[in-house]
Amino acid sequence: MTSRLLRLSLAAAFLLPPGAAAADSKLVVAMLPKSKGNAYHMSCVAGATRAARDLGVEFLFDGPTDSNAAKQNEIVENWITLGVDVIAVAAENREGISTALRKARRQGIQVITYDADAAPDARAFFVNQATPEGIAQALMDDAARLLGGEGEFAIILATLTAANQREWQKHIEARWKALYPKMKLVATRPCDDLKDKAQSEATALMSAHPNLRLIMAICSPAVPGAAEAVKQAGKTGRVKVIGLGLPSENRRYVKEGVTDTVILWKTEDLGYLTVEAAVALARGTLKPGAKSFTSRSLGTFAIQGDNILLGKPFAFNKGNIDQFDF
Amino acid sequence: MKPPSRDWPALLLRHEMLLVYVLLAEWLFFYFAGTTTNRRGVLIGFGTLDRQFDILRHSCEIGLLALALTPVILTGGIDLSVGSILGFCAIFLGLLWRDCGLPLPLAAACTLAMGVVAGGLNAVLIAALRLPPLIVTLGTYSLFRGLAEAITRGAITYTDFPAGFLFLGQERWLGLPAQAWLFALVALVVWLLVHRTTFGRSFRVIGFSPEGARYAGLPVERRLALGYLLAGGIAALAAIIYTARLGQAKADAGLGYELFAITAVVLGGTSIFGGTGTVHGTLLGVATIAVLKNGLACLPLVMRLNAAEELAGLLTGALLLLALAAGVLPRIRPFRRASRRPVDSTHPPAVPP
Amino acid sequence: MSRYAREISVAGAFALLLAVLAVFAPGFYQPQPLLSLATREAPTLLVACGMALVIISRQIDISVGSQFSVCGVCVGLLAGMQWPVIALLPAAVGLGALLGAVNGLLIAGLGLPSIVVTLAMMVTLRQGLNLVRQGKFVDLPEGFQWFGLPQATGQWLLVLGALAVVLGFAVALRYLAAGRFVYAIGSDAEAARLAGIRPRLGTFWVLIGLGALTGLAALMNVVQSPQVQPLAGSGLELKVIAAVVVGGVAISGGRGNLGGVLAGVLLLATISPALTHLRVEAYWEKAIQGAIVLLAVLAESARRRWAPR
Repeated sequence: MTSRLLRLSLAAAFLLPPGAAAADSKLVVAMLPKSKGNAYHMSCVAGATRAARDLGVEFLFDGPTDSNAAKQNEIVENWITLGVDVIAVAAENREGISTALRKARRQGIQVITYDADAAPDARAFFVNQATPEGIAQALMDDAARLLGGEGEFAIILATLTAANQREWQKHIEARWKALYPKMKLVATRPCDDLKDKAQSEATALMSAHPNLRLIMAICSPAVPGAAEAVKQAGKTGRVKVIGLGLPSENRRYVKEGVTDTVILWKTEDLGYLTVEAAVALARGTLKPGAKSFTSRSLGTFAIQGDNILLGKPFAFNKGNIDQFDF
Repeated sequence: MKPPSRDWPALLLRHEMLLVYVLLAEWLFFYFAGTTTNRRGVLIGFGTLDRQFDILRHSCEIGLLALALTPVILTGGIDLSVGSILGFCAIFLGLLWRDCGLPLPLAAACTLAMGVVAGGLNAVLIAALRLPPLIVTLGTYSLFRGLAEAITRGAITYTDFPAGFLFLGQERWLGLPAQAWLFALVALVVWLLVHRTTFGRSFRVIGFSPEGARYAGLPVERRLALGYLLAGGIAALAAIIYTARLGQAKADAGLGYELFAITAVVLGGTSIFGGTGTVHGTLLGVATIAVLKNGLACLPLVMRLNAAEELAGLLTGALLLLALAAGVLPRIRPFRRASRRPVDSTHPPAVPP
Repeated sequence: MSRYAREISVAGAFALLLAVLAVFAPGFYQPQPLLSLATREAPTLLVACGMALVIISRQIDISVGSQFSVCGVCVGLLAGMQWPVIALLPAAVGLGALLGAVNGLLIAGLGLPSIVVTLAMMVTLRQGLNLVRQGKFVDLPEGFQWFGLPQATGQWLLVLGALAVVLGFAVALRYLAAGRFVYAIGSDAEAARLAGIRPRLGTFWVLIGLGALTGLAALMNVVQSPQVQPLAGSGLELKVIAAVVVGGVAISGGRGNLGGVLAGVLLLATISPALTHLRVEAYWEKAIQGAIVLLAVLAESARRRWAPR
């Protein structure tokens, strides 16, 4: 019986003013990042929240607390029954989420993807911060620049099942084999999105491959983890560290010269642009076939097919990292 | 003393009935607090039929795992590997269909068989070799997940399943989501097995006292084995439904599901030490958790806080503790019972801590 | 077969792995990486020590990973508020002990089954932390790393400190009455009660002990790098339980010692770097770990069958 009382008081706490038929006149934008426990995704959401405020729309976001394909589908389906107007998704898994997104479109909900795309028929537009090829290109070219075109390097990624990471890896390998034959990818290790595990992996990599000269960490917690490992091994400068990560998490290492470049894009802008495009889509001002999209404050963006391009990846290094605080 | 079926006050206060009250209370709460109409005048939120069907569809796989675990936990064992068996079987299905070119119905049948084989590994180690279930299934939890990752090298995903197969996970049949019918069938079979056959009764006897069961002439090892084999088979079925629902098979399928399944079973009144519990209790437990998770996401306040996922986890944990605490008195006895030395001291008791 | 056949066989397996590495990947044996590996695993060893006690007393605690995360974040936040190290040590241990006490109250006090209580705690703590932190790293102040000491000193301090704590517990388990009580409670709580021991109180203290060790381990982890990730510690419970069981502690309670636990921790910690050195692909790791746990359990069964009574 105590459990029942507890439930009732919890209900009272959450109960809002009576009015089950309250109509809401604002547009509702719902955003689904890949996971909520990840600073990268949360900073996209921060930009998106700001955009929603500027545009005067209702903003919801929810996401798995760990990267989980099934959870994303469930959340999308929940939003369908909540009757949101637009859904913006960073797809953990392309095919899986497309199932739910197609359903949403059938019910008249607009769909837009960002950061990681779904199947083209499942969404109207994809706000692309940078293509996987572009990201791989930036990373591989930077690695080649730092190593002078030859030497061993290793990749640390989040998990072996993360789809976009594997895609980046594929393009990195393709670029390496095509353009830099004197370089060699010696190992790919997962870190389960844990900084500490990335540190252990990097330590093992350095001792297993004595000629290793660069570690490419393509998941954001792995960059500071690998950098710390290099620092603790006393190999700063001898083993370079580059990766995809947030400036705030890597500032220390970049300044100390352990990490050379952190490549990313302006995540807040990505979130902001996504919401702007979503709202424009819902209001009808952005239609399929458009060639460009003008944002209130971020400028004009080219649309290639149905990809709204944020631009090229941005390289944070010692010279500019202080200008950013995300 | 009144006969049990006439003792209304006791009947109404039984664990399962309390759970029914909780379920009703939260359903009603979410109905009134989580249903509104949107700008277009359409009814949205918890109170819509679509939402209810979604709750049903989303909870089928975990529900199947919870059903799979109920006989196992009744015998005083546990199976932490059901989620990993799900993942492994999903990959196996994709492998047979895409890489071996088998027609889907055959591939699905083979997957069910593979699930039973996977359960068989647990059965051999636990029932035949008398190893502790917690640790064996901890090992197979890693093993099966690891095999799934090794086969796919983590990256391979099986997709593009034919529409006929996807129907199972995504469409409705005779008014209800298709997988709900399968789930209902399995639920019925498991319920009959546990509550109406001598097999099923023996599960509870074994959980209550394995030595007593042995002296009563029950083939304890065979019954235990049956429990784990069944769990593996049902996990394989859940894998098929999961793949149909998502339209893809990947090595991380079912990750974390075993914990929810165990929570549902315990919430439903089955003692983790074995010996007492019901299948309908498990079903109520699954429903309670599913409604909680889903309903929270409909509340405007929760949406404003963007905290549906975390709150669902927090409240589920709290609910579990409350459910245990509320049943404290009858639970104290199993705690003492579990620490009693079995008569035959060369074998460990089949009861986990 | 001697009394310690189990622990000896684990140590043997570890030695075998080391031999394989010596032959096929001698690069493994470099002082600096080995020291780094040991330092990284020192927190795990502490938690394994506490977990061993809990399992010997026939309970289990799968919330240690979440406890570790919570303690780590709190220590990081306190350090950011300029708390001196002298205050952080008791704070970390105290917070961990507090979390352990909550488990203890529910398990020993109310008699609830430990696996379910700690399951609920694990989920509650993890989601609560997510709610508050949203995955954001905690930045530690300058000079906090390694307690402000040079790196090598700090690393040796952590490794030797962890070994000292484990040694202390091993001695206590063997020579103190309280240690004997833990085994007694795990072997047969009813008999222990009749002998005048209070099983519930013992269980309560053991759970607090695990919590305190987890808090200490979290502190040890925090001083190893300049940032704390709230997700750190995720998966720790499985790692530690596997290490403890591989190390010869019986899940049915009443048996095991910390020497075996040390061997188990060493063995499991070495697998990942060994795979890297032996150029084995990463996706085999989980399968291999699962296989090792199963082999350890089979060895336990073999020991029971053929050990002289």
